[in-house]
Amino acid sequence: MTDPILELRHVGVTLTGRDGSVNEVSQDVSLELAPREFVSIVGPSGAGKTTLLRVAAGLRRPTAGEVRFGGKPLTEVQAGISVVFQEYNKSLFPWLSIFKNVAMGARRLPVAERSSRVRGALDMVGLQGFESRYPWELSGGMQQRAALARALVSDPKVLMLDEPFASVDALTRGLLEDVVGDLWERSSFAALLVTHDVGEAVYLSDRVLVLSTRPSRVLAEVKIDLPRPRSQGSTRQLQRFVELEAQVLGLVHQAGRSAAGERPAT
Amino acid sequence: MIRAPRRAARLRRAGLWGLGWVGLGVAMLVWQVVAVVKHSALFPTFTATVSTLWQMLTSSFVTSDLIPSVIRLLIGFAISALIGIVVGLLTGYYRAVREWTTAFFDFSRSLPTPLLIPVALVLFGLGGTMVVVIIATAAVWPVLINTANATAALEPTLVDTARCLGLRGPALLTKVILPAVSPQIFAGLRVGISVSLAVLVVAEILGGSSGIGFFISSAQQSFQITASYAGVLVLCLIGWVADSLFLLVERRLLRWQRGIVGGVHD
Repeated sequence: MTDPILELRHVGVTLTGRDGSVNEVSQDVSLELAPREFVSIVGPSGAGKTTLLRVAAGLRRPTAGEVRFGGKPLTEVQAGISVVFQEYNKSLFPWLSIFKNVAMGARRLPVAERSSRVRGALDMVGLQGFESRYPWELSGGMQQRAALARALVSDPKVLMLDEPFASVDALTRGLLEDVVGDLWERSSFAALLVTHDVGEAVYLSDRVLVLSTRPSRVLAEVKIDLPRPRSQGSTRQLQRFVELEAQVLGLVHQAGRSAAGERPAT
Repeated sequence: MIRAPRRAARLRRAGLWGLGWVGLGVAMLVWQVVAVVKHSALFPTFTATVSTLWQMLTSSFVTSDLIPSVIRLLIGFAISALIGIVVGLLTGYYRAVREWTTAFFDFSRSLPTPLLIPVALVLFGLGGTMVVVIIATAAVWPVLINTANATAALEPTLVDTARCLGLRGPALLTKVILPAVSPQIFAGLRVGISVSLAVLVVAEILGGSSGIGFFISSAQQSFQITASYAGVLVLCLIGWVADSLFLLVERRLLRWQRGIVGGVHD
């Protein structure tokens, strides 16, 4: 197997409140992401999925263990990792046009390449013609496309997606899943998706990791052996898809139940 | 396609705008009528006040009082704006700075500025410097507090996004945080300019050797009542011009924000 592009080694995250209260969010989470691989993290709500993603992105330091990116320890945000957040309306800069928003993602590129790369990224997500619009003039789905273009314009090694489609309607969600899937097929980034939507995780991923409730650990890993390219119409009809979805869903429920059973003991 | 309703809206706005002027005209008329009826040397008519004002504008009043006051106002306000924005951003963004300074700021800003005038007189003597210092001391608070509160309440997602895009340090402050909190900064500045005007007059009355405040109080003391009324009118005009300029700049710079809140008209 090739060397992983991103590695979490025994990562633990403990939040210390200002009143001194200690909240252990994650405990010993390990995962590897190979180049070009698509991995999803699912788990019951409150499993600290978002915190884990922030650690993986270098936005927060783990209290135990380490994160490695490209074979080196990751201690700060770094070029090569892009993140798309759930709340596109808080993530896009409302004072900048769509073009300038995406150009913010191209800041590390040579100046001469920037505008052609921005245009290319906007084409990729189907936003050509909306360059001079402001984020708040676009629908939720289009805003998230813009956020995706901004994340991908720098040609990252790893794309991290934190519940990226949780704030849009079901139809738009399906469309956006396909946008991400297509871009992933055509480009060379590895993707790490955090979601509570099991079907979405199975539909997009090579592997799905199931987290336990807090303090979270990786409970199970499910390999998704569905053929690619995938499409909403055909893939979700496959017997194998239904089986995998049921399997992962069962694991998530089990994780939630075991936590409920354990709680009195703690 | 929506031209007709838009034109209607524009007409309605023009109508409302016109109404404001009519209201002002009515107030002047009331002033005139009351003064004529009372016929008192202590209460000049509106027309007499305006004609005195007109004479003043061609007298030494302009160079010895009006211009010095305006310069003090601008310098004092500029200093307060600069300090308020810079310190506000720092206290808002860095929690450590905030915790260290909160008590000091709360204590200082609750002090009525006119109380400082005797102290400032001792330190800076009669005249311009003292007035500028007093203006800056008073007007800095609304700017500082507004900027700090808005910065502290920034969406974490916005800051995370900026960090992921490789923005840090001064670039993070100027390219993301400053524009994000600019609506609140403007609100603070607008309060700051009216505070500036108020303390300008107080400082000039109590410890000035020139300026509009000094002019008004010395006119009153030498029973040139009409001239002191005219001085008050000059202050009104300065305040109105300052506020109008402000709105103009704000409308330009914060167009994006009016889009978000759904086209608030003022």
